[in-house]
Amino acid sequence: MDERNILDHQFVVAAYTVTWVIQLGYLAFLGVKWRSEKRNAERKSRPAR
Amino acid sequence: MKKVLLTLFPLVTVLLMVQGYHQAIYVAPDDAMQGYVFRIIYYHVPSASVAFLFFFISLIGSVGFLAFRRSSPNRAQIADAWALAGAEVGVVFCTVVLTTGPLWGRRAWGIWWTWDARLTTTLVLWLIYVSYLLLRRFAAGPQMQTLAAVLGIFGALDVPIVYMSNRWWRTQHPAPVFGGDQDSGMKDPTMVHALLWNMLAWFCWGLLVLFLRYQVERRHQEYAAIEAQEALEASA
Amino acid sequence: MSSTLWTHLAKDLRIEWRSKDAINSMLFFALLVVVLFSISFDPRGAFAQQIAGGVLCVATMFASVSALNQAWAREIRHQVMDAQRMAPTSGAELFLAKVLANFLFVSIVQIALAPVFLVMYNLRVAGQAGLLALVLPLGTWALVANGTFFAALAIRSRNRELLLPLILFPIFLPALLGMVQATTSILTGDSDPWLWIKMLTGYDIIFTTVSLLLFDVVFHAE
Repeated sequence: MDERNILDHQFVVAAYTVTWVIQLGYLAFLGVKWRSEKRNAERKSRPAR
Repeated sequence: MKKVLLTLFPLVTVLLMVQGYHQAIYVAPDDAMQGYVFRIIYYHVPSASVAFLFFFISLIGSVGFLAFRRSSPNRAQIADAWALAGAEVGVVFCTVVLTTGPLWGRRAWGIWWTWDARLTTTLVLWLIYVSYLLLRRFAAGPQMQTLAAVLGIFGALDVPIVYMSNRWWRTQHPAPVFGGDQDSGMKDPTMVHALLWNMLAWFCWGLLVLFLRYQVERRHQEYAAIEAQEALEASA
Repeated sequence: MSSTLWTHLAKDLRIEWRSKDAINSMLFFALLVVVLFSISFDPRGAFAQQIAGGVLCVATMFASVSALNQAWAREIRHQVMDAQRMAPTSGAELFLAKVLANFLFVSIVQIALAPVFLVMYNLRVAGQAGLLALVLPLGTWALVANGTFFAALAIRSRNRELLLPLILFPIFLPALLGMVQATTSILTGDSDPWLWIKMLTGYDIIFTTVSLLLFDVVFHAE
């Protein structure tokens, strides 16, 4: 009965962790994209010809 | 005013998340039948709702792009940005659904997966929008947006068909059903409250991320437009 | 049938008749898939009856993709596509003609494959065999109509051959389910195939209509 509870608890932790890994991972990916777009914009507004 | 909103909204979202987590783990009681593992629902169901809503937003964007392509190019670009943002963030939330679901199912009903209408439709939806994102990555040139918009419409059209055909399949060959009517199991008002808090939190989070993705895409569109202009001028 | 439609169709059929590229590669590919599945799943007795429908459909899917991949390739070469676009006919007729042509090719492959199937799987049809003549064309039409449309979508992409199955198969899934379930229920005589036949018909009507409506958008998207 007790092992069942421990496993339940572990699965809940796993589910919540996976959710946040995915969400925060995507947010990080967006951050990288944002930075590269900013760099592109700067490059375009100051053409170093 | 806009600046205030922009800094306030993420803050409120984080607070809602904390409140949602607190509700889910510390306030809501164990489920009578499923025990502790039922708490996965507080992340699983809101994620599913957000995913479906965002896929719908993507569909509107695709239709809008095709509609405004010729008449109002700027509006079409905005629509396309929403189409992409909706699809991509939708896939993120759908991935959460497809990973938390089996974890819940394994403990609650003893099976990781079953091919019932709801799960199959969610999986197919995920497949369709991943293929949509792949088309956007692999297709080249200015017509990519048009092609992607068309695929987006086809994909959305397919979803109700998948759901119904799977329902019919399961009336002929019954199989275990995940969740059953999980909402009917929520007679305890504390549980309903916990779910509502997390719904609100995840909707806010989703909107935040969607908006960010939209902005990144708009910036990218402007950059691409300038690049195209320069290429045109260079060749002239 | 309008004369333009017939012209497009006759052209595609004539080209294929001269080279027999598509049909030969499809036949061989489908046969390979059938043999592969047989070795993987060892169909015997009642089990063979259960899986034959699925194997036939999957073999058809893979075989069709190999043909669909070069369905538009012919048109891209020598700027035939541009000439087509400038012609004062609607793109829908060109599309429909391609679908009809591909449908014919895939059906020929299926008919050629049928005796092989019956032999390798020791099939006996427990239900109404005649219904197979309804189910298989309906499922094949779903595959070919969507496949021809998506092949046109994928034509300008880097990984054209890879992209087509990736965008086609998810959307084709309900039709696959219908085709497999209907075929299996006819072979085993277990259940009523009419539900699936109706579903396949609905699927075909919906997606063919949408494809015809949206084809011009795709065709002129340059």
